Amino acid sequence: MLIKLSGGTVYDPVHGINGEQRDIYIRDGHITRKPSANVKISKIYDLRGKIVMAGAIDIHTHIGGGKVNIARIMLPEDHRNDPVSKTSLTRSGCGHAAPSTLTTGYRYAEMGYTACFEPAMLPINARQAHMEMGDIPIIDKGAYALLGNDDFFLRMLASHKDQEAISDYVGWIINATQAMGIKVVNPGGISAFKFNQRKLNLDETNVYYDVTPREILITLARAVRELGIPHPLHVHGCNLGVPGNMQTTLDTINAVEGMPLHLTHIQFHSYGTEGDRKFSSGAAQISEAVNANPNISIDVGQIMFGQTVTASGDTMLQYAGHWYAHPNKWVVMDIECDAGCGVVPFKYSDKKFVHSLQWAIGLELFLQINDPWRIFLTTDHPNGAPFISYPHLIRLLMDRTFRNDMLSTINKKAASASILGSLDREYSLYEIAIMTRAAPARSLGLKNRGHLGAGSAADITVYNDVKNRETMFTKPAYVFKDGELVAKNGKIVKVTNGSIHTLRPEYDKTIERSLREYFDRYQTVKLDNFRINDEELLSHGYDRINIQPCA
Amino acid sequence: MSPLTFKLNIIPEFTLDVSPLTPDKLLAKSQTQIKKINLRYGKQKISVDKLFSISGDNPENIKFLGSTEKLICIGQNMSRGNIDVQGNAGNFIGQYMQGGNINVQGNAGSWVGNSMTNGRIHINGNVDDYLGAGLPGDPYGMSDGLIYVSGNAGDRVGDRMRRGIIIICGMAGDYCGSRMIAGTIIVLDKAGKYSGFGMKRGTIILAKKPRHISATFKSCGNLKVQFLRLLFKQLSEMEQRLTLFREYGPEAHRFTGDLASNGKGEILILQTIKTG
Repeated sequence: MLIKLSGGTVYDPVHGINGEQRDIYIRDGHITRKPSANVKISKIYDLRGKIVMAGAIDIHTHIGGGKVNIARIMLPEDHRNDPVSKTSLTRSGCGHAAPSTLTTGYRYAEMGYTACFEPAMLPINARQAHMEMGDIPIIDKGAYALLGNDDFFLRMLASHKDQEAISDYVGWIINATQAMGIKVVNPGGISAFKFNQRKLNLDETNVYYDVTPREILITLARAVRELGIPHPLHVHGCNLGVPGNMQTTLDTINAVEGMPLHLTHIQFHSYGTEGDRKFSSGAAQISEAVNANPNISIDVGQIMFGQTVTASGDTMLQYAGHWYAHPNKWVVMDIECDAGCGVVPFKYSDKKFVHSLQWAIGLELFLQINDPWRIFLTTDHPNGAPFISYPHLIRLLMDRTFRNDMLSTINKKAASASILGSLDREYSLYEIAIMTRAAPARSLGLKNRGHLGAGSAADITVYNDVKNRETMFTKPAYVFKDGELVAKNGKIVKVTNGSIHTLRPEYDKTIERSLREYFDRYQTVKLDNFRINDEELLSHGYDRINIQPCA
Repeated sequence: MSPLTFKLNIIPEFTLDVSPLTPDKLLAKSQTQIKKINLRYGKQKISVDKLFSISGDNPENIKFLGSTEKLICIGQNMSRGNIDVQGNAGNFIGQYMQGGNINVQGNAGSWVGNSMTNGRIHINGNVDDYLGAGLPGDPYGMSDGLIYVSGNAGDRVGDRMRRGIIIICGMAGDYCGSRMIAGTIIVLDKAGKYSGFGMKRGTIILAKKPRHISATFKSCGNLKVQFLRLLFKQLSEMEQRLTLFREYGPEAHRFTGDLASNGKGEILILQTIKTG
């Protein structure tokens, strides 16, 4: 079956196509070259005047794993206020900050997203995370395994095991948990929280293991590089949300000595201590450092005003933030030998100085970091805002007048403390296509996603060219997933399963000997039960497994 | 002006959500507009005129005639006016209510006055479980207002209640005032087991000695609790039928608890005034 998408205005940054009229042909779920004239075309979509991009990719969104479930259990009122009823195609569920798995998939697909990556899958929770992600329909999934606070790793580091052994362990974890990358959350800090430390700076030592976050970062970044994992180490750094943490972030950038690093939700790490309130924007300095260091990529973690819930592995920060829980209920818990988990509901208000400034800092970062290939559009769903606010965020970036209108409605002191009003930059559709498609695909090493070249998977989003970009990105005209039309005018028309992206890095299997001993002694499961094999993975609901190549 | 009356023309098979029919929501609407309001009836949505015949014109006073226990969410979110229900009513009456009055002539279902923040509810019959409670997962239940039940109540009266008064003239089920945060519950007949289970603060006033008091409640003996006089006096002004002050004096047997939780709550068992 051959489908022709005729005459759309194509934005495909990987091939340097910036708003040119092209025809796209789809055969068997893939994009193909123009077929010869005698081949019969089964269906033609007339896309004249419409905008065609690859399916969007969300590089950092909490859609699976224990913490989302805790958020769901804890916030029944959030679900009551946003019920989603069943249709002839889709199943019922609920939405807003921590939507049900099914609603997550439908809403992402309706918005033109075709792949999403869960950033914090604890190895011990990997099975649960995969089961949950397997339930999410339509979109492709993947997850980063969370290391850096687990007892086994810290023991290795404390006993000065060589880098090779640690890399083998990291490789084993990726294989055993079917992950797509490695994330570190508050390196050493979650573990330090268990030993009664309430803050941990980059060069402070964890009192129990006697290691510093700096060592952890460097070791893991090296391991990621040695294993050839395409996505750089995904770092949620130290001191999240602490005024003055901008310096820690700059130190982190310098610490890795040129190794690739992805700093996630950097908005929460860009705060200074100037001004009367001892809270100011560090966006300018951070942007300068990111612009100067081509090894660094970031995603922003923009906040949006309204009720949401923060779910993070960073128990240290979540404990510090629980005083501001709204509604007043929260959970901070220990998760076996791996790490921890904290869920605190939060309401960002445009009347409050701090929240307003956070909002402005996120946008300042977007507008001051020049290379769209190294900055990704996220709200750190659901920590900054639920993912359904992406179209609004895109409009803020693309429309300066709208942005300044919004700026005039926030807290006056915050608005005058921010340089946002003086920033003229407006993102073009081409840049949006880079930061939501091409760049995430490149960063994750997805060769056949994020572009519209021949051989790529036919994940395609077609937008109506509307002046109001929020409307445009909320309801795409057509969304194709693997060549099938799944959504039309922002409504699901077909429900598919979506696949999982994983990696299979090479490592030395002898690491299993010491791991088996450790598992027998300390862990709640046996090593062989811990591992998730392909057969089991498919049984959790994924269509198929896409193994991405390692370098 | 006569009360706006909704006479139920069918015998409903499924639950019928009448939450759009409150004084607040109907105030600015004409009768033709009201007829077109869609109500959730089981799985379908049905307009008002297919279910009710409407008469009267004063939306501040709403009357339901021929109501059955399938009518749910009566007076949800209302903040003013009166609703009079002739017949039985279903679950969730006066849910999230902020003010006004609801009168039910018959029995009512569970979750009466669920998380209400103010207003008054009178039930002339019996009610089911979770009177004045909150939905599962909510931090607290009823946070102000008054609920008066002439008949009996089911289990878990005032679960996680935070403020306000609940008066039950008949019996209460088990776990009366469970996990109560504060507020007052008065039961004039026997209460079930585990009254005040896990209560933090608040007062449960029982007119008759219950069959069972948890081991985590501590007896403080008979005391003169002077505030009872004030309370009963005030209640008789609010509700003529409540002449408690004639029967019960300030003397009461006081238990404090629940010691397993916070221990600042109390159960008062009233003593009748000895005459002559």
